[in-house]
Amino acid sequence: MIFREVEDRDLIAKARQGDVEAYNLLVSRWEKRIFNYLLRLVSNREDALDISQETFLKAYQNLRKLDDPARFSAWLFRIAHNEAFSLLRRRKPESELSEPRPRDFGGRLLPIELSLAVESALKVLSEDQREAVLLKVYQGFKFDEMAEILEIPVSTVKSRLYTALDLLKATLAPAVFRKDGGMAL
Amino acid sequence: MSCKLEDRRPDWKSYALGELDARARQEAESHVAACADCQDELAGLRVTLDAMATLREEELPRRIAFVSDKVFEPRWYQKIAQAFLRPSFAAAGLIAAAILIHAFVRPVSAPNNIAAQVDTRAIESRVTAEVTARLQNEMAAAVNTAVTKAVAETEKRDDHRTALLLSASERRYSDAADFLNKQVTRIYALNTGAGVR
Repeated sequence: MIFREVEDRDLIAKARQGDVEAYNLLVSRWEKRIFNYLLRLVSNREDALDISQETFLKAYQNLRKLDDPARFSAWLFRIAHNEAFSLLRRRKPESELSEPRPRDFGGRLLPIELSLAVESALKVLSEDQREAVLLKVYQGFKFDEMAEILEIPVSTVKSRLYTALDLLKATLAPAVFRKDGGMAL
Repeated sequence: MSCKLEDRRPDWKSYALGELDARARQEAESHVAACADCQDELAGLRVTLDAMATLREEELPRRIAFVSDKVFEPRWYQKIAQAFLRPSFAAAGLIAAAILIHAFVRPVSAPNNIAAQVDTRAIESRVTAEVTARLQNEMAAAVNTAVTKAVAETEKRDDHRTALLLSASERRYSDAADFLNKQVTRIYALNTGAGVR
C-alpha cells in the first residue's frame, strides 16, 4: 500500500507536468473502484460510466489544486460524489415516483441470490446512507476520510452509517438468518 | 439477558468496521467474551457485513477514455523548461535565438522584409551572377596575361633570331665583298700587267 501511494504520488507529479500517459495509468488504477462506487450510488451503468469519465476529466483539470497528493483517493471520491449527486438532484422527481420498497427475502438464498438481495437492500437506503455504506464497506475509507469526501462532521458520518447498517441488517435478516435462529452464512 | 454495561457497552459497529484503536478493541474483546448480549449484536453485524461482501465489483463496460485536451497541456514556461532539458532541443533553440538576434541587430540599410531576406531564389541568382561575372573577369585577365606573356616571349625569340640572321648575313656580305674585291683587284692586275707576270 505504501509503494502504491508512492507510485500514485509520482504519477500525480508527472501528470501535473502535462504527462498524459502518467495520468492514464492513474486512471487505470482507480477507474474500477470509482465506477463501482458510482454504479451502486446511481444504480445505472451508463450514468455510472459517464460520471466516471467526468470525474477523471475534472480531476485532471484540477490536479494542480490538489494540495496533498497522499490524499488523492479521498479527493477523487469527493469529485465523484459531487458529480453523482449533481445527477441525482437532476433525477430527483423521477426517482421519487419509483421509490424502492423492501423486498421479502424469505428462505435461504444461493450466493448469487444473496448478492442480488444485498444489491436490492442497498437501494432501500437513502442516497446519503447508501453512500456512507459504499465508502466504508466497499471502499474501505476511514471515518475522517469519509468526512472529508462528504464534507460533513465525523459524527454525521457515523450516524448515517450506523442507521444504514441497522436497516441493512433488518432488510437482509430473512435471507441471512434461518427461521430456526441459526445463520445462513 | 442484557449487557451489564448498558450505555457504556462497546461501539460494536465501529469495532466491526475496524475503527476502534488498539486499546478500545482489546477492552471490547475482553467484554464480549463474557457478554451474550454483545455476542449476539456482534454476530448479527458480522453476518450482515459478510452478506454485503458477496456483492462483487463489476468490470467496466469499457475503459475510461482519457484524451488530452489543451487545458491539460503544460504551461508555456514548462514547455520551455522541458525543451531546454534536452540537449538537441537546447542546441536548436540556441541556434534559432542566434539567428533571430542577428536578424534584429543587422544594419538599418538591410531590408525590413525578413521574407525578402530569406528569398533563396533571389540570393541564388545573385550569387550565380556574381560568381559568373567574377569568373569571367578572372578568366579574361588570366587569358590576357597568358597571351601577353606568350607574345612577349615570341617577340623576344624572333628578335634574337633576327639578330642572329642579320649578323650571319652581315658576315656573309662582308666575306662576299672581300672575295669580290680581291677578284676585281686580280683582274685589274692581269689587264694592266702590273705586278703580274
